[in-house]
Amino acid sequence: MSGTSPAGAPAAHPQRPGGADSRALRTGSFSSIVNTAGVYAIAVLFLLLGSVLQLTGAIGNFLSPQNLLNIVDAVALVGIVAVGMAFVTYSGNYADLSVPTTMGFTGYICIELLRYNFAVALAGALAVGLLIGVFNGFVVGRFKANPIIWTLAVNYVTMGVIRLVWVNKQIYPDMVGSQQHAVALFDAIYRLRFFNLIGLPLVILIVLVVVGQFVLARTSFGVKLKLTGSSPRAAKLSGIAVERAVMWSFVLVAFTATIAGLAVTSLSRVGAWYNGAGYDFKAVTAVVIGGMTLAGGRGTIFGVLGGSLIIGILNNIMTLLGIGTFSQDMVRGAIFIVVVGINALSLRRMGRDDA
Amino acid sequence: MGEPVSGYALEMRHVGKRFPGTIAVDDVSFEVRAGEVHALVGENGAGKSTLMKILAGSFDDYTGEIAIGGRVVLLHSPTLAKHHGVGMIYQELSLARPISITENLLAGRLPRRGPLLDRPRARAQAKELLAFVGLDLDPNLPIEDISQHEAQLVEIAKVLGNRPSILVMDEPTSALSREEVERLFAIIGDLKRRGIAIVYISHHLPEIFRIADRVTVMRDGKKIDTRLVAEVSREEIVQMMVGRSVKEFYRRDERAIGEVRLRVRGLSRFGFFHGATFEARRGEILGICGLSGAGRTELARVLTGLDRADEGSIELDGKPVRGSTMADFLEQGISYLTEDRKTEGLAIRLPVEDNVLSAIVDRLSSAGVYSRARGKPAVERLIGELSIYPPDPSRTVGNLSGGNQQKVLLAKWLASEPRVLILDEPTRGVDIGAKITIHTSIEKLAREGCTVLLISSDLPELVGLCDRVMIMRKGHLIREMQYSECTEESLLLAANGEGAAS
Repeated sequence: MSGTSPAGAPAAHPQRPGGADSRALRTGSFSSIVNTAGVYAIAVLFLLLGSVLQLTGAIGNFLSPQNLLNIVDAVALVGIVAVGMAFVTYSGNYADLSVPTTMGFTGYICIELLRYNFAVALAGALAVGLLIGVFNGFVVGRFKANPIIWTLAVNYVTMGVIRLVWVNKQIYPDMVGSQQHAVALFDAIYRLRFFNLIGLPLVILIVLVVVGQFVLARTSFGVKLKLTGSSPRAAKLSGIAVERAVMWSFVLVAFTATIAGLAVTSLSRVGAWYNGAGYDFKAVTAVVIGGMTLAGGRGTIFGVLGGSLIIGILNNIMTLLGIGTFSQDMVRGAIFIVVVGINALSLRRMGRDDA
Repeated sequence: MGEPVSGYALEMRHVGKRFPGTIAVDDVSFEVRAGEVHALVGENGAGKSTLMKILAGSFDDYTGEIAIGGRVVLLHSPTLAKHHGVGMIYQELSLARPISITENLLAGRLPRRGPLLDRPRARAQAKELLAFVGLDLDPNLPIEDISQHEAQLVEIAKVLGNRPSILVMDEPTSALSREEVERLFAIIGDLKRRGIAIVYISHHLPEIFRIADRVTVMRDGKKIDTRLVAEVSREEIVQMMVGRSVKEFYRRDERAIGEVRLRVRGLSRFGFFHGATFEARRGEILGICGLSGAGRTELARVLTGLDRADEGSIELDGKPVRGSTMADFLEQGISYLTEDRKTEGLAIRLPVEDNVLSAIVDRLSSAGVYSRARGKPAVERLIGELSIYPPDPSRTVGNLSGGNQQKVLLAKWLASEPRVLILDEPTRGVDIGAKITIHTSIEKLAREGCTVLLISSDLPELVGLCDRVMIMRKGHLIREMQYSECTEESLLLAANGEGAAS
């Protein structure tokens, strides 16, 4: 077993210094650092599990360079959404369930606008995505709408808009009128690789994680969001503009969902309403596994990256094992329930302490 | 109903209850006769609520003996207490708002026919209970469709439905109008005739003289005395509640009181308080005294920018306060310590440090980048100054004792370096050690020139700390008393609308 771990370790190792950095950033108590380290330990365990399965012959090529690259590429897409989602969870508003159709919708917009040029297409997609975020953030922040119900509704309304506008048709980047140059750039969103290895989505993810962690831990916005997520009423009575903080968290998730939507659309080379399907739950699971409690105000972006890594590795192993999509959903659902259960128990124990 | 031989429906003998750090109820013996209304009075924190909680079965570790109807019983759970005939009517309603009166009244014992609800019978039983409290309502109405005072009476009917032999009423009139109070008193008279023993907790002394037969006074967890109401005067009761004059207890430092800092004119929030006009000076501690519901907190919330005034003006150092949000007010130096520590004051899941700095996030940031390090010296100084225990900035606030949580809350507002600090019940529910620390800190703040508005139900606190006290009653500032006139007796009488002015 020890013979395989060096092979598994390099994949996880680059993240390790990140865990240590979070300490340098003074993100909070010692326990949160332990939690983040624990997430990566679990990621390593899953890598070991994959290696063992390969040794026993249950799966073929888990440790092949191509497969490890597949894992990283998948992690990048989930991770990008999860970083944005983490802000919503941190603000105490659980999750933005309008992510899937935000991803789909912005993909459509981008492809449609390829007829002008790539910059317009990109700007148009971002504008639409951010608009959805502002809308969600305003309604949830200002009117205290239940975030789950509200964003679920927005998800369905957006889906309806897509299917109405495009008459239930998928659209393709190289349709009549598209600029060839713009299409090439659009294709590159997912396919561009630095040194023939590191994909653009991964680069974006790393930038988002570093910036996201900084914003969460080191800016006044991050501190206000922590207070808001921990106790919205106490935050309000500390003179914090709670509504504005919540609004921004929804804008951020819409921003990262738009980026992920463009990457997924670039990957599949088709605008389809189902392009973002499943990313809501995958992202929330990554956030929760990454040590962010659904109660808000706790966790780190580094942890969320670890959570995305775990989700990516797990999906990969299940696919290699030949487990069907539906069974994979069941496994992810079960893991989610277990993690949330553990979180709830530990929170309840804290609640008992203060009583 | 058989009259017990001993004459006592309830006997509590040498009952005690200890909390970490305090003895809430200390060797109290207390008897109530069947058919008697027995008033229980005392200041906040005197132990009367804890004593009644023991009776309600809230604790399984009280000491002493309780006998009901002459038989010794163990009241270690609310179910047991109910079973032995103890009924509790609390200030807050325990009714479920969306469901019908019938279901609320008969919760847990709805009549059945086979597996099904026996609707006609449930309706009839509900009607009967409602009639007893003088309500003629359709029992199918949900609670949310009836008025607050009707709900209060439904609450009473619900408790009566369990056929208690002992009934505890905790401030039952606080939400009732005059006519409703009369109706309640009529009901109490009826219950007396049925031989139910009633314990009546109230701050309103006139009520006690109207309906109680005997009165027991508690102070600092101990029973002071039980007297026949007919043989005791109002002043004697107040004297017993307050104990020795605490004026000498507070060592009073001379403070230099400066120019006017806060000027409030004709401030109203309709339905809560009206035409509040007063001035407060630099270095002054100005008390606001009144019964709960008098409008004190509502006034504070407007003064601090949380709620909007309907009319009137607020001036700070001669200039009208700018802006309309709490953040605006805070920036100009008005800070507000809420009475609700756990949900509005502190983020109890966060460490001490984050809480202390939570009101000055923007001041610690430049260009949006937050520097906790810049706030660190203040946190450490305040932890030392208020002797917050344990002196660990990274300790989760929820794991501190109530007194230390309260100190953290005060530290948060001291860190904001206010020009006007409004304190709403700053020492409610804290032990005496924390109380002294908080008082010392308030006096120090005033000496440094801050204007302090002190809202408190703790009379010794008002008398001990304040330079002046305003009396608030039913939304109006009815009177102002200088330090020299303030005694606990005079404040209590004034807050009850009696004394020199009313």
